[in-house]
Amino acid sequence: MAEVRIKAVSKIFGDVKAVNAFDTVVKDGEFVSILGPSGCGKTTMLRMIAGFERPSLGEIWIGDELVSSAESGVFLAPEKRSIGMVFQSYAVWPHMNVFQNVAYPLTIKNLNKEEIARRTNRVLGLVHLDGYAERFPNQLSGGQQQRVALARALVCEPRLLLLDEPLSNLDAKLRESMRFEIKELQRKLNITVIYVTHDQSEAMAMSDRIVVMHQGVVQQIASPVDVYETPANETVADFIGLVNFVPAELTADEVIFPSLGHAVKRDNACRGRARVGIRPENIALSKTETGLQGTIVHKFYMGDATDCRVAVGTETLRVIAKGDGFREYQDGDAVWLRLDKMIVFPVGDKA
Amino acid sequence: MNGQTFFSRFDTKWLVIACAVTVLVLFTALPMLYLIYRSVVVEGSVNLENYRVVYSNAVNFRAFVNTFKVSLLVTGLSVLITFPLAWLVGRTNLPGKGFFRTLFVATYMIPPYVGAIAWIQLLNPSVGYVNTFLMAVFGLTQAPFNIYSMGGMIWCMTLFYSPFAFITISRAMEKMDPSLEEASRIAGASPLKTLVRVTLPLMLPSVIAGGVLVFINAGSSFGIPAIVGMPAQIEVLTTRIVTYVYMGTGKGIREATALAVILMVVANGLLYASTFLLGKKEYVTIGGKSMRPNLVDLGRWKWPVTALVAAYGFVSVFLPLGSILVTSMLKSMSRPVSFDNLTFSTWKTVVNNTGYMDCLGTSFFAATVTATVATVVALFIAYLAVKTRTKGRAVPDSLATLGGATPSIVIALALIITFSGEFGLNLYSTVAILVVSYLVKYLTMSVRTISASLTQVHVSLEEAALSSGASWLRAMKDIVLPLVSPSIIAGWFLVFMPSFYELTMSILLYGSKTKTIGVLLYEMQTYADPQDASVLAIVILLIVLGGNLLLRKLSRGSVGI
Repeated sequence: MAEVRIKAVSKIFGDVKAVNAFDTVVKDGEFVSILGPSGCGKTTMLRMIAGFERPSLGEIWIGDELVSSAESGVFLAPEKRSIGMVFQSYAVWPHMNVFQNVAYPLTIKNLNKEEIARRTNRVLGLVHLDGYAERFPNQLSGGQQQRVALARALVCEPRLLLLDEPLSNLDAKLRESMRFEIKELQRKLNITVIYVTHDQSEAMAMSDRIVVMHQGVVQQIASPVDVYETPANETVADFIGLVNFVPAELTADEVIFPSLGHAVKRDNACRGRARVGIRPENIALSKTETGLQGTIVHKFYMGDATDCRVAVGTETLRVIAKGDGFREYQDGDAVWLRLDKMIVFPVGDKA
Repeated sequence: MNGQTFFSRFDTKWLVIACAVTVLVLFTALPMLYLIYRSVVVEGSVNLENYRVVYSNAVNFRAFVNTFKVSLLVTGLSVLITFPLAWLVGRTNLPGKGFFRTLFVATYMIPPYVGAIAWIQLLNPSVGYVNTFLMAVFGLTQAPFNIYSMGGMIWCMTLFYSPFAFITISRAMEKMDPSLEEASRIAGASPLKTLVRVTLPLMLPSVIAGGVLVFINAGSSFGIPAIVGMPAQIEVLTTRIVTYVYMGTGKGIREATALAVILMVVANGLLYASTFLLGKKEYVTIGGKSMRPNLVDLGRWKWPVTALVAAYGFVSVFLPLGSILVTSMLKSMSRPVSFDNLTFSTWKTVVNNTGYMDCLGTSFFAATVTATVATVVALFIAYLAVKTRTKGRAVPDSLATLGGATPSIVIALALIITFSGEFGLNLYSTVAILVVSYLVKYLTMSVRTISASLTQVHVSLEEAALSSGASWLRAMKDIVLPLVSPSIIAGWFLVFMPSFYELTMSILLYGSKTKTIGVLLYEMQTYADPQDASVLAIVILLIVLGGNLLLRKLSRGSVGI
């Protein structure tokens, strides 16, 4: 169990800043996800914590130990950091059976046979692989190989567990059930976890806090609720969930949407031009003639929800209702909209 | 209409299969079976008397032991040298990796007998360049090296056959998911422990596969043992077979078959065993996105290691090539190498010698015919194997593989006994028998290349053309052929080049009017005309090099030898 302190870490490849001044503290026992599109620098950051890359600037502490420091040249080799890591490709060794794979970190420590067997079997039980000890990786499904990788990372009871997109090679159903298993294990073992993913629902479901990265720069570090409901900037709002952006003017007590020909009462801290983000599920539709009028351009039936494109003024807004809320609507119908929740980004404040 | 489609489909498909199978059975399977038959049937009854007579002869038995000894040592040395080289080139921050990679596969495209000629110039005990140099520098009274020895043979073979191991091992190194090694590091293992416990075991199947290739090639090589070993009375199976055939008697041929059958059984057996066993151990190591390998930092060892690698590259490639070039341009072999002792006069003599140019013409013609026929046949075989679901579609392909896996000397001997009139077809000492032998040995090269590229052409591309209204033939012409054309041309060159400089089969099959360039060069070396030999060797190397550059350009670097 350990706290991880990342102090102004940057990684520069040639003239590209893959990671730019990453700065955060992951608390002891916390589950933190690093979330972002591919190429945003999240994996590079994780590999710096693991010790496979050296930071170009800044330093990394695990517990009370300085493991990497660009300034003072301190660098602890990966094998000396006592952390567990799960790789995207599983990296389960094909020439060893399940037991040998999982026991490997213990055999490196030269523990006695009984202890190796006891601890290996315990962790195999933890990931529900009892009875698979003698199998070879090519006799396992993707999900089972994933569990082997997880067991191997946990067998030494590491102070820190790193996961690099561990679920991205699994099919959708398995992915969801593995999410809960990993979360359960983390709770049971009370271990510090840093989890890299490009899948926002994965990050939302599992994390205590999410670090949103874009082009090497940290955009926001907050709880899943805060990242979704009060995103720090348009990039975050756009990446997490769906959002309609509409230009607006802010006055003291109103948000005016020129392109919609509409205004909404709201107390504003700032004045002037802004961009307003409205999530599709935060727009209510009705046939009752109140509020903002629009026309259904197209309705997509999704089973558990209905997804509509509604033309309003010069904009086309996306509106989603859960369940069969929009059953009675047809393409071309006139509807009335109510904007329930807004995320306001004053122009010029853009990150 | 219906009947017509049925018929045309039925006809072409079966016609293609029938033709391909007939040609391959006639020239590959039949001669080999007949070779075995002739070796075990003595005066109409099956017995092993022939084998007993042959192997109880001390010279033959020694040749048999030598073959194994040399092949094993060459294999061991090759693996010991190429594994670290492949690791350095594939996994570390060694400077100039691309250059070294090209260098280490370069000896693969140099005919081995050219290498042998070069090393004789460098290390022969009386006037070898390296020997005289070392004697002058260190004031030695005796030459430190003698190429005409077991050691000299092993040295030459290791340099020329180790690329087989290097190519196999470095390909596996590059394919290995680096996170397999990283997982070991994070589990607490040092880089050295990771190398021993993860990298080495994972590489073992490719090391074995590469080793088997080296072993078979060393065991069935003729050029190097003939040029380097025979002057020292060191015989191997291939040289014994040639000696027997040159006796020209029925008894000689019969005894040669007993030697050839053993060679064939061992070579094919080993190859199939290794493919079969390793096929099961095929580790799926292709990873996800983290394929960017984490290069090992050589640290303070970087420059010493680079110097060592460069020295090996220099000794294995530049030294022998330089020696041939210098020899081809010396005014007088008895005077030391200096600028005023260089001239192009030998070149002029060689180019103006019509006898030499005839041999060059024969080789060029035979290689061109072989490559062209092979390409057409390979196209059918590959299409059949890859694109159809017909029963027996893989049979022609495996017959081609069989030919490629069989030692050249065995193919030549089998063709001699089968096609010197025994079955009403006498091809002996014609260009035709040369072409047939090259075809049997190298057809697999173009089949491999074309199949690989046909597999990449998804069936939907062809179907899209059909559903746009094109006939099957039209779809072939407009869609499939253009897409695989780089591989067709690549396959052509991959057959042309080894056929052009072929020696082992040609030495048994040429006639007075069909002497090839390889045979000519061999004779010159044996009758001590090193300068003319050097000129011709350079000519061969230039043609092969030109072919390779063209090949790389056409296939955008994906094919080349």
